[in-house]
Amino acid sequence: MKKIRIEKIKRKETIKLPYMLDFYPLEDEKNTRISQFFGKLREGHLTTTKCKKCGKVLWPPRIVCSSCFSDDLEWIDLGTEGELYAFTEMRLGAPLGFEEDVPFCIGIVKISGLSISARIDNAKYEDLKIGQKVQLKVVELDDGRVFYRFDAVK
Amino acid sequence: MRKVAIIGGGATRCGKREATWRELVQEAGKEMFENVDNISPKNIEALLVGAAQPERFVFQVHVAPMVAEYLGITPKKVIATTELMCASGQAAIRYAWACIASGMVDVAVAFGVEKMYMPDMAEAQTNMTCVLDREWDGVNGLSAPPFFAMTAQRHMLEYGTTKEQMALVSVKNHHYSTMNPLAQFQKEVTVESVLKSPMVAPPLSLFDCSGITDGAAGVIMVPAESAKKYTDTPMYLIGSGQASIGNVVNNLASITEWVPLKLAVEETVRTAKITLKDIDIAELHDCFTISEIMEYEAFGWAKKGEGGKFIKNGEPYIGGTIAVNPRGGLLGCGHPLGATAILQALDVLQQFRGEVPKGRYVSDAEIAVTHNLSGAANVHSLLAYSRN
Repeated sequence: MKKIRIEKIKRKETIKLPYMLDFYPLEDEKNTRISQFFGKLREGHLTTTKCKKCGKVLWPPRIVCSSCFSDDLEWIDLGTEGELYAFTEMRLGAPLGFEEDVPFCIGIVKISGLSISARIDNAKYEDLKIGQKVQLKVVELDDGRVFYRFDAVK
Repeated sequence: MRKVAIIGGGATRCGKREATWRELVQEAGKEMFENVDNISPKNIEALLVGAAQPERFVFQVHVAPMVAEYLGITPKKVIATTELMCASGQAAIRYAWACIASGMVDVAVAFGVEKMYMPDMAEAQTNMTCVLDREWDGVNGLSAPPFFAMTAQRHMLEYGTTKEQMALVSVKNHHYSTMNPLAQFQKEVTVESVLKSPMVAPPLSLFDCSGITDGAAGVIMVPAESAKKYTDTPMYLIGSGQASIGNVVNNLASITEWVPLKLAVEETVRTAKITLKDIDIAELHDCFTISEIMEYEAFGWAKKGEGGKFIKNGEPYIGGTIAVNPRGGLLGCGHPLGATAILQALDVLQQFRGEVPKGRYVSDAEIAVTHNLSGAANVHSLLAYSRN
């Protein structure tokens, strides 16, 4: 019987973290109609959209009001100081791209009447308390995209 | 609306399986067809496949036709995959039910399958972190354990629930799973061993969390009027409820009270024409120990905030107020996402038939409910089954 040859084929050892596995959103105006959110965040402002017709404050930011379907929305500033409603710490089971950060704190922050989830920096789990004040912080990725976190106020 | 029956089914053993997604499908499919008389793949008019994220776990979409191909099914009325994350299997049962109840279909298979073990488990964790809104919650590392950890933290703060009470849920469900050969976990745990297990996201330890699991299961469904052609002991779908409120954390009805579950319970007892007291078995979605505690409360078996006391007093054991998770729950059996609701249904069927070991048998059970929650507990899905 003729011997079948095994040919080794080459593939790249590593690939860049593809968009599908990147948790951070695409932020520029070519990719989203809420790019202003990220532009304002870069300037230190956490904002969201409010419906000019029915007055509903919408989180996350939208292009259409989910209460009345108006697309006449305005940007409002949520301020920079919030309060911890709940918190925990990721110790096991972090996803790709976050493994190096373990352990890290995650909280639900009350800010301007909203309850938003966020990374809580500047503290260990043991140091945090419910009701603790937290301060807006902006992080920048290598590629220039920005996202919000909060620092525990000590 | 026609009344609908489940006439039988089959499942794989659950756990970390040395088998591919396709092999899990074949194992469960063989069991299912061999367990039911007078029916063959050719009779199946509808196939609904509960699969939460095959596109991530096994890099495959369009999976319902693959299940059909492997099981020799050629559906001529309905075929689709159903996705509702942890409730994907229940979605399959619900749609199969609707197909038959409406008169469109006479024989349907509700199938469920998930292969969750991957060579790199960080990739599996990545998949589990795009369940909540990926750009606004997942991006903060908010997968299920941290979310339910914060739920537990608030419940402990507001109602005095303790880690020991949560651990007791794990003790109960692992106890029952030792008597379930399909279960992933076959060993008893103690309050001490739960508290000493590695911390995942405080206050939740490893044994407060259901596992990553491979598994598959399927059931065959027909109109009630023809069920006795296939078996003397079918079970009947008698009611359901399902409610969804909000999705990102900000838009949930509440963190510490599962309003959609209360609505789903009301709808289930209304449509099944039963009261809470009529329910003999409750297969509840104990993805985390705190979940089951909050479910005792949402159903109304325990007062709001007293779910911890309810387990402390042994009320959710067989012989107590209500037998909760005599199958072993997700904590004991594992949680192969798309297959879980099908496994719950199969176990209820075996309970009604008296085919489960004595130590977890609920004698003379007539009515059972099965429950699945999904996402940030913003969606709750319930089915009610009866023996007669």
